[in-house]
Amino acid sequence: MSNPSYVYGVVAADTVLPAGLRGLGPSGKVSLVRQGKVAAVVGDVPTDRPLGTRDDLITHESVVDAVAGATTILPMRFPAVVEQEGVVEELLNPNEEFFLQVLADLEGRVQFTLKGRYEQETVLREVIEEDQEIRALQEQVSALPEDAAYYDRVKLGELVVAALEQRREVDATELYEQLETVAVAVAPHQPVQPEDVIDAALLVDRAEVEAFGQVVDRLGEAWSGRIRFRLLGPLAPYDFVSSETVETGT
Amino acid sequence: MTVATQRPGGGGGQVERSGGGSSGLADVIELILDKGLVIDVFVRVSLVGIELLTIDARIVVASVDTFLRFAEATNRLDLYGKGKGGAGLPDLVQGITESGSKGKSSGVLEGAVEKVGEALGGRREEERDEAPRRRPRQRARQEEE
Repeated sequence: MSNPSYVYGVVAADTVLPAGLRGLGPSGKVSLVRQGKVAAVVGDVPTDRPLGTRDDLITHESVVDAVAGATTILPMRFPAVVEQEGVVEELLNPNEEFFLQVLADLEGRVQFTLKGRYEQETVLREVIEEDQEIRALQEQVSALPEDAAYYDRVKLGELVVAALEQRREVDATELYEQLETVAVAVAPHQPVQPEDVIDAALLVDRAEVEAFGQVVDRLGEAWSGRIRFRLLGPLAPYDFVSSETVETGT
Repeated sequence: MTVATQRPGGGGGQVERSGGGSSGLADVIELILDKGLVIDVFVRVSLVGIELLTIDARIVVASVDTFLRFAEATNRLDLYGKGKGGAGLPDLVQGITESGSKGKSSGVLEGAVEKVGEALGGRREEERDEAPRRRPRQRARQEEE
């Protein structure tokens, strides 16, 4: 590839980029390439090394979310590289209608990602206190040295994990009910670890961001000591453009 | 960087917040590697060579190692007394994941190896269990002092 461009995302053509953006290329420049009513947020590409360092990933996210703080951007999945001429010919021109439609759908909206994780000690105590089978097995196992009772320990862990998953189902349902009152759309993800309760992408109207923050705070207070929450955002609507693959050229 | 941390009343200290650009590497990877618009698959593969990372990071872990981890956490409860709240295993594990990825260019791949290790129920999980084990002991020591 003779002359590659790095594409961070796609915005409306009348977008003004925020000051101070720094891209992952050697020049650090980030600029717009306009075509019709849409524009690509582009920069240069390092040519002396492959992409994919920690800094590359963080820079991509920083640029995209700095733009997302001010306006709607359709984020590209890392890494998106096309030839410079291709930005217009292959990316923007053939997909203008599609981009406009998705931009219109997401106009005035921003993503937050909320993650909730059980306070392990609190919830494990609940589990032990409420489940007789687990309690009995735990007493039996804890009386033995660590390398003895291997299968009992596996069984104990399995029962505990199952008990956590049961709790999660109940608690997550309640959390989602609250969040749905202030989010335009919710994209739930399957939690990764047994102690994870919720991992949700939430699309929020910019006008409702404050109300949304208050709901999240109320959840944090209501579940304090039992679930610890982390809120990421405002972010570009990563989870609400995911399924789209853009055709480039023919 | 845009960070929506201004909240009326300043209450709700329970929720940890980070705006775009200030998230940890693990959060960033989740956002930008398996989401977003995809263009021209061939360019991605030939230019980058980290396709490995698109392995789904969301495989649910339900391995023997996970069960042992929870069995141990459960056993630990009685050993170190009741009523201890505060930061525990999750935070430590997060810290380890983050610091394990600090090695610049190699960090990303290490992260991936760890994910794959988890997915396969490999031995990495046991290694990660070593550090959290230390915490209750530290706490016990502090109480003695």
